[in-house]
This record gives sequence, C-alpha cells and structure tokens, in this order.
Amino acid sequence: MPLHKFNPSIKAFTVIVCVLILSVFFDPVTPFLTLVMTAAATFIFGRVSFKRWILLFSPFIFMAAVYIWSALIFSKTIEGETILWSWGIFTLTEEGFQRALSLGMRVLSFTSLSLLFILTTKPTEFLLSLMQQCRLPPKLAYGIMAGYRFLPLMKEEFEIIRSAHRIRGVPKARTLPEKMAEFKRYTVPLLAGAIRKAERTAMAMESKGFTGDKNRDFYHKISVSWKDWAYFAIFIGAVLFSTYISWLLGFLKLYNGEL
Amino acid sequence: MLEKWKLREVIVLSVLAVVFAVVYLVFLQFGNVLYGMFGLIGYDLIFGIWFIVSIIAAYIIRKPGAAFLSETIAAAIEVMIGNAVGPRLILSGMIQGIGAEAVFAATKWKNYRTWVLIAAGMGSSVTSFIWGYFISGYAALSPAYVTAMFFVRLISGALLAGLLGKWLSESLAKTGALNSFPIGKELKRGKTKNGITA
Repeated sequence: MPLHKFNPSIKAFTVIVCVLILSVFFDPVTPFLTLVMTAAATFIFGRVSFKRWILLFSPFIFMAAVYIWSALIFSKTIEGETILWSWGIFTLTEEGFQRALSLGMRVLSFTSLSLLFILTTKPTEFLLSLMQQCRLPPKLAYGIMAGYRFLPLMKEEFEIIRSAHRIRGVPKARTLPEKMAEFKRYTVPLLAGAIRKAERTAMAMESKGFTGDKNRDFYHKISVSWKDWAYFAIFIGAVLFSTYISWLLGFLKLYNGEL
Repeated sequence: MLEKWKLREVIVLSVLAVVFAVVYLVFLQFGNVLYGMFGLIGYDLIFGIWFIVSIIAAYIIRKPGAAFLSETIAAAIEVMIGNAVGPRLILSGMIQGIGAEAVFAATKWKNYRTWVLIAAGMGSSVTSFIWGYFISGYAALSPAYVTAMFFVRLISGALLAGLLGKWLSESLAKTGALNSFPIGKELKRGKTKNGITA
C-alpha cells in the first residue's frame, strides 16, 4: 500500500508524535537510525524519486552543518571533559563534539519525517481530512483552500506589476531605503488586490449557499481504518527500535537540558 | 470562536496567511545565509518577520483569534507548499501566534495603539524562544550566547513584526482595499493617530 493512501491527519499526527519521542533523547545514533529508516520508507513505499527528495533535503544538510558549527564554537566547556583540540578561547572536547553531532542529526531526522509527510500528501486531502476527522471548522478550511488557490494568481499579478514598473522606467533598487520602497511598491498592490479578491470570493461562496455549518456533507469522504493505526504503530515502533539499538550500543542518553 | 466571524473576514485572514507564508519561506533562505555568517544568532536578527502576519491580521480584523489563527494558517500553508520543517512547523506557528494573541487579549482586543502592536511582536518572540529552547536544544549553547539571542529576537519582534506590520497595514488601508474593515473606517474618520476602535 503506497503511503499516499493513508489518512493525512493520522500521518501528520504520527510525525508530531515521532518528533516528540525523538526530542526526549539526545544522542547521535537514535536520530540517525530514524533518519535512515524514514528515508528508506519514503523511497520504497512513498515512491518518491531520490532527486526530488534530495532537492528539499539538501538545505537542511547545510542547516545541520551550521548547527554543528554553532554548537562546537559556542558550546559550554565542562570541567573534566576530554580535550581534542584547543585554540585561543575555542576548545573542542570529545563530549562537545558528540553533542554537536546529536544536534545536527536531530534536525535531519525531523526533516526526513516531515518530508515523508509532505511528499506523500495532497494539500486538499489534508484539509478535507482535518475537517472530517479533526473537526476543523469548514469556514476556515474552505477559506484556506480559497486562499491557497490565490497563489498562482498572485504570481501572475506579480509579473504584471513588475512589467508595469519596467515600462515606466522604475530604476533598480540599490540602497537600503530604495529596497524598502521597492518592497512596498510590490507588496501593497499585491495585498490590496488579494484582499479585494477575497471579499468577492466570500460573496460568491455565500451566494451559492455556503453557510459554514459544521454538519455538512462531503463529496469526497476521507476515512480512518485499522490500516491507518497500523501505520501509526509501525512508525512509533521504528523510532523506539532506533532508541533500543542506540541503547544496545551504549549511546542512548536522555535530553534534560544539562548541556 | 469562529462563529462570530464573517466569511469575508475568514477569507481575508486566509489570504493574508497565504501571502505571508510565501514571504516566510523566502526569508527562511535569507535566514540561512545570515545563519551561515553569524551562527544561530543570525537567525534571530530577522526572526521578527515570522510574526508579522499576526500583527497585520489582528490590526486589520480586530477580532479575538486573528493573531493566533493567521500565524497558524501561515505555518500550515508553508507546510503545504513544501517546507521540510513539516507538520512540526504548525506547532511553532501556533506557539508564535499565542504570544501575540496573549498581548491583544490583555487589552481585551480593544487597543491597537503602536505600543500594543510592538508588545505583541515581542510576545511572539518570548513564546517562540521558549519553544525553540526546548525543541532546538539551545541548552547546549553557552548561557551568555543564549541571552544575547533572546534580546536580539525581542528587538527583532518589536521592529520587524510590530512596527513593520503596522506600517504595512496602514499603507494597505490607504489604498482603500480595507474600507469595510475597522482599520479602513478608522482611517476615514482620521483617527489613526490614537488607534482606538471602540
């Protein structure tokens, strides 16, 4: 069964619970194992191409690298730690290195879980599921769907505004005040247009009989079955398995802000 | 909470959230650059921008929940567009929204003077920092560095969310697009200076 078929709300809930479990621990091995398993599930059961995945994942590799760097340079040095390298005020200890690595791995494992969700869930289905399973008010859900639909329209409008500016010979912004003025020149008309359109959309929805009543019918029904709960159990199981392996290898450590 | 809202207001709220979700994603890239240059604190320099929709939505719509809902929806849209932080980001959005909402709630959603907007931006800074402290493991950093990060974020929240949000909302009101909202009516009456709606 491909991952696209599972209930979106349960998928999102699974990610949040997995992240919460992972944040309890603070060692490099647990998140690393979770990362490997999640990525494997994304490719095998999610049928996501590696190219698409790595494109979204790579900025976070960079981010994790900065995290590690920050944690190394600005970390606290505790008495009695094994010093690996020292230069001026910077001291690199073995424990500090492990902490930095844990922090980086933590970011990457969270990212892989999230990517699994994003790459296998359609936005509309997620909203329908939130309405049907999590009692999200229809007013809000359909409002968000309408707003989401505005995105391509706004991109078009942005192009029009840019062309209009170019035709009238607006020079390119160079200094900071010029950049601020340019920012205003784009955002204000874009937002004003969007708000006017939003008001018209609301009117159209109401004139077609949309009341925002919670006891409405759905054309596209999204259900929850035992398979969705099995999905939840398997993921939680995988995270717990990672912690177990990490414990076997003697790395497992609870996170209690002691660092 | 939403029963008292008009559909018009809900859709305007969603549209604001969608626009700023895109802005937020753009600034995430910018933040990454600052991050690379200054370390974690680089992020805090522009952290305020991520609270701006709370201020704008609350200032325009002026109903309980505007700050909280707009920030939460913006985060949800970011997730839908495709942000690798994922569903956890919705939680961050809620927490940021609560900070601003708490400040507006303290004035019973009646006062929208400049200082209240600035305080709301700072409110988001506080809640987001507490959340970040636990989820991103700031505890691993030296206390002096964390304190510096906190103050930088506080100032960023005041300026980039509070003041910039106020300025953008007012520029928007001047176009006439907000004439059916309290902020537009206020502008017509020429009372923008004291910012009282009641």
